[in-house]
This record gives sequence, structure tokens and C-alpha cells, in this order.
Amino acid sequence: MNAVRNHPPVQAFHDLFSAGKTGLPGGDGPLLGLRETRFARFADAGIPSQRTEAWKFTNVARHANVPMALGGHVQIGASELSAFFCGGHLARRMIFVNGHVSRDFSHVRGLPEGVSVRVLADAVDDGEVRERIAAFDDGRSFTDLNAALMQSGAVIDVADGVHVAFPLQMLFAAVGSQRAATMNHPRLLVRLGRGAKLHLIETHAALQDGSTFTNLVSQIELGDEAELIHDRLQAGRDGSVLLSKADMRLGERSRLRQTLASLGGALVRNESTLHLDGTFADAVMNGAFMPTAREHVDNAICVHHRQPDCHSDQFYKGVMDGYGRGVFAGRIVVHEDAQRTNAFQTNNNLLLSDDAEIDSKPELEIYADDVKCSHGATCGDLDEQSLFYLRSRGIDADTARSILVYAFAGEVIERFADEGTRRLAMQHVFARLAGGGGLSGMLEG
Amino acid sequence: MLKIDNLEVAVEGGDDTILKGLTLEVKPGEVHAIMGPNGSGKSTLAYVLAGRDGYEVRGGSVTFGDEDLLELEPEERAAAGLFLAMQYPVEIPGVANNYFLRQAMNAIRQARGEKDIPAGEFIKKLKEKAALVGVREELLKRDVNSGFSGGEKKRNEILQMAMLEPKLCILDETDSGLDIDALRTVADGVNALRDPSRSMVVITHYQRLLDHIVPDVVHVLANGRIRRTGGKELAQELENSGYEGILGEAA
Repeated sequence: MNAVRNHPPVQAFHDLFSAGKTGLPGGDGPLLGLRETRFARFADAGIPSQRTEAWKFTNVARHANVPMALGGHVQIGASELSAFFCGGHLARRMIFVNGHVSRDFSHVRGLPEGVSVRVLADAVDDGEVRERIAAFDDGRSFTDLNAALMQSGAVIDVADGVHVAFPLQMLFAAVGSQRAATMNHPRLLVRLGRGAKLHLIETHAALQDGSTFTNLVSQIELGDEAELIHDRLQAGRDGSVLLSKADMRLGERSRLRQTLASLGGALVRNESTLHLDGTFADAVMNGAFMPTAREHVDNAICVHHRQPDCHSDQFYKGVMDGYGRGVFAGRIVVHEDAQRTNAFQTNNNLLLSDDAEIDSKPELEIYADDVKCSHGATCGDLDEQSLFYLRSRGIDADTARSILVYAFAGEVIERFADEGTRRLAMQHVFARLAGGGGLSGMLEG
Repeated sequence: MLKIDNLEVAVEGGDDTILKGLTLEVKPGEVHAIMGPNGSGKSTLAYVLAGRDGYEVRGGSVTFGDEDLLELEPEERAAAGLFLAMQYPVEIPGVANNYFLRQAMNAIRQARGEKDIPAGEFIKKLKEKAALVGVREELLKRDVNSGFSGGEKKRNEILQMAMLEPKLCILDETDSGLDIDALRTVADGVNALRDPSRSMVVITHYQRLLDHIVPDVVHVLANGRIRRTGGKELAQELENSGYEGILGEAA
């Protein structure tokens, strides 16, 4: 395939796969075939280089093509995890530590009828689940690697017409270790039946120093008239890497409200492909990203309008400081039948240092003739007049800058539907700003 | 309180000086009006006193209390008790007005080694002062000056002033953009702050503001220097004969 242009995976991947494959869920039988096929394809295709269009701005091999062990079981203190609990006291929660479900801290018992939350390792006994996993085949290396090595994750099903009254949190903790770099490959399957409603909170937390590599694949299906609110907060550390690939399919008159914040980590890649497969489907995707130091955040979004009368809106804001680098590659494809499409895309950025960088690449491909589409990108520095105004009222320069940065990024953060996620995101934003300590008053009210 | 001695100021990197040896002294409790035609240097004076970037002091000195004002950062000037009510208040989307005020108040208190104002006390004071200067409560929760009318912005400046209780208030064209009723409310707010220990410098184009905020001393600024100084009747004289009449006489 692209082997010439890509990097052949280091030997460690081969060794790890042949030694460990049968110990992985379904690896002793039903999933072994799939794992082997996908691993062979991954080994053949290799790890994408920057000559691949989809990875043009991001050197992923630097982080991915190194010897890593599969994440093992680790003990982690309750308080370290509970700092990331979101969704309020009614929330149900499934917790994964280095790719292994933490049965001690997860709480998904007593679910109402029509709501099923299964641990992937158990769910693969179900042939239908295996089929769903196999059905997602985008030919991408990291999707293949995930299929080959997935250890855990969750399968969430909400039956037709069921409105889930409480938020459901999926908390992924990547725990670093000084001994070895580790990786984990979770898979998340979410299916909402016709008219079903769910508030899904996805939280990625990096705990303790050390290199961690998380390669998540999500398959999300919204039935006709279903509604998914999806809040996703990622709080990384120096050595953490998160690659996330989400494949989302929206049925007729379904609604997606997604808000995400990428706050820290050596590399974060948020890749989402949306398929608006039914008429009047409606998707809003908000994102905030704030790379600083040598962090890198790559947002790659593609929205396929396949049916008439759908609406999509991407609203992404980036704040780059230090040597931080942000990427926003947003693509909208309006297929031939998708008349009366409304599709919008905005990417506004702040560059706070001379060494920071943003690569913003909007793309529109339109094959229908009656559509309303727009895209726009801006890039600027903090407004000097506003800074002076704040300082003239006694606020020191660092705090004044932080206030203005938060005022910018906050427009996205405020859109989190879950109060807990919003507050946690604010704390992490403030912690990342030189004068952020002075902003804690915002958390009081 | 404020002593400006032979101050010379240019726009940073520019050739022309805007203030060309301005001298002025304001004593505690006094209200001084500075009047002058367009381009005389009124706003430059206000900004230089508040510490805005973009100006270059080429000579002279400014003493505030016993401190060299020009050595201080803008926030240090605020903490020392200087307040500039701006001609064009800045809109800051994303920052709530009440949050901003509390942040400013606590920053100044902290700089003076005082404790933060308790939340309840702050809210009580804010409501009281807002009523005094005619700022609707709804505006307190909105983003700073965002979508405010011209008059609402000016009232918001005076509200900040009332909350921060500075020693020296500089009002830069506070009357511009105000109708007669708003002018009276704003002037009432300013007058309520008059105090034997608090001084004011009121910069204006027109005499009408001075009907409401009656000054002790009136200065005429033209071409970068104070050309004439007199009592409150000088403002009326200006209104009658215009700057040309007065300055022609002074020259």
C-alpha cells in the first residue's frame, strides 16, 4: 500500500503481537482472525509519515513508532481518579486504567431497562458486537492497530425511545511509569436506538509521569430522531499521547451536540468522521485546544452530508503558546443528493508567542447546487487595548492576559453541557496560564 | 497629590512632541478642569498619566503622592490610587462585568496588603453604587461594555470609579456621547465621590459638563501646554468667546 511512504513498525510491535495476541479479548478464538488480518495490514502499511495527506502537519511516528509495552494493571488511588469524576452525583461511570476496566471504581449497576453498558472484553462473546467491530474498516493504520491490540473499552446500547436520565461517563486514565513506555487501545461502541437520548461524558486523564500512548477508536451510531450530547475533556501530561478516531453516523432528524477540550499532552489527535446519513440530521461540534511548551494538537474533522436538509456546524478555537502547535483540518463534503444543506465551519486562533504555530486548513467539497456553506479562519494576538484597560483597573499583566485568554477559549468551554466537565476544564485551563491563579474566582460563581 | 512638571511627550517613534512642557499641580480635594481644542494633547495627557504604551516621555516629571508616577506599571498606578475614566471604554467579550470589577477591586486591595472583599459585601456595594450612577443591574452580569450604548459605557466607567474609590480621578471626555439626562446622572455620581482627600482632573471639550461638576480650577490646554489658568468662570468665558478668542488674548 503506502509502505514506501510510511515508516515500517519497529520490531517490538511484531514481538508483542505474536506473544500477546491469544491473551487479548477474543484472541483465543472468535476475534483472532480479525486481529491477525488487521495486524498484518498494519505491519504492511506502516505508521504514516508526514507525506501522507492526513498527517501532513503531524509527526506521529516520533511518538508511535517506538518500543512500547501493553498497559498492565496498576493500582491507582481513589482520589487521583475521583478528581476526574464528572456528571454529578447521578452519573454512572466506567473507568479504564491503562486500557483495563477498573471494576472497583466503576459504577454502572442498576441501569434502567433498555440501557446496556458492557465491558468490551465481556461483550465480544456476542457475535453481533464482533460484527460491529469488524464492520468499521477505514483502512487507517491506527484503526488496524486498535483492532489488532484492543484490550478493553465499552459497548453502550440505548434501546428505541429510551431517554437516559443520568450522564454516563467513560473515564480513561493513562498512568505513566518510569520503567517503560506503555500503550493501550480502547474501543468504544455507542448505539442509540430510534428516538433515544444519552448524555455521554468522555474524559481522558493522564496520571503520573512517564510515556503513555492511547489509541482510541469510537464507533457512534445515532438512530433516527436520537440525540447524543457528547462532552469530552482531555487533560494530558508531558509524556502522554492520545490518538482518537471517531466514526459517527447520524440517522434522520438525529441530533449531536459535541464539545471537546484538548488540554495538554505531547500529542493529541482528534479525528472525527461524521456521516449525516438521514435527512434533517443536525450536528454541532465545538472544540477548544491549547498547546503550549512543545505540545501538539491536531484536529481532523470530516463531515459528509449525504442526505438533504441536514445541518452541521464546527466551531473550534485554538490558543497556541510557547512552541505549541495546533492543527485544524476541517473538511465538509456535500454529496450530490444533499440539497438544502447548511454547513458551517469556524476556526479562530490566538498565537501568544513568536514560536507558536497554527495550521488551519478548511476544505469544502460541494456536489449539490442548493446549499449554504461557509468557512472561516482567523489568527491573532491578544488585544493591547483590552490588556491596558484591565491593567488600568489594577489587574496585573499576567492575570490580565489570562483573563483575556480565558475569555477567548471560554466561549467553547462554556458550551460543555455537563457542569462538572466545564469546571474541570476551567481548572485545567487556569493551571496552564501564567496568571491563571488569579482566575479561580471564576469557579465560585 | 499630583504634580506635573514641564512634561514633554511624543508618540513612540514619532518626531513631533504632543505635550511640550506641561506643568500642573492638583492638591488634595481639588477639582481641575482641562479644556482645549481637538489635538491639543488632552487625551495624550490622560493616557500618559494612566501608563498606556505607545508614548515616549522625553522630558519633565510626574509625581503622584510621593512617587515617581512614570516609573510605575499601569496596575501599580491603579493600586496607588489613580483612576482613568476612558473616553472610549473597551469592550471585553467573555469577561463578565461583575467578575471584572471584583477582580479589579481585590487586585488593588491585595497590592495594598488588604484582604479580599467578602462576596456578600461586594454584591451589596455593587448594587448600591450601580443605583447611584444609574447602571441597570442587568448590565452587571453582561460582558464588560459589550453591546453597551455609549451612555451605558460611560456610566460603567463611573461605576468602576465609585467601586475602586481612587485618590485621583481622571475623567477623559466623560461627557461625550451622553444626552442631558445621562450627563446629569453621571455628574451626580462623580459629585458623590467628591471628598477633601480625593482630587479630580476633568478633561472636556465643552463647558456643559462643568455646569454639573463645578471645578475649582480651569486650565486651557493648547498645542501641548497650559495656556491659561483661572477659576470656574474661565469655562464660561471660553464658551462665549471660543478657544481662538481666549488663546489669541493669551498669546
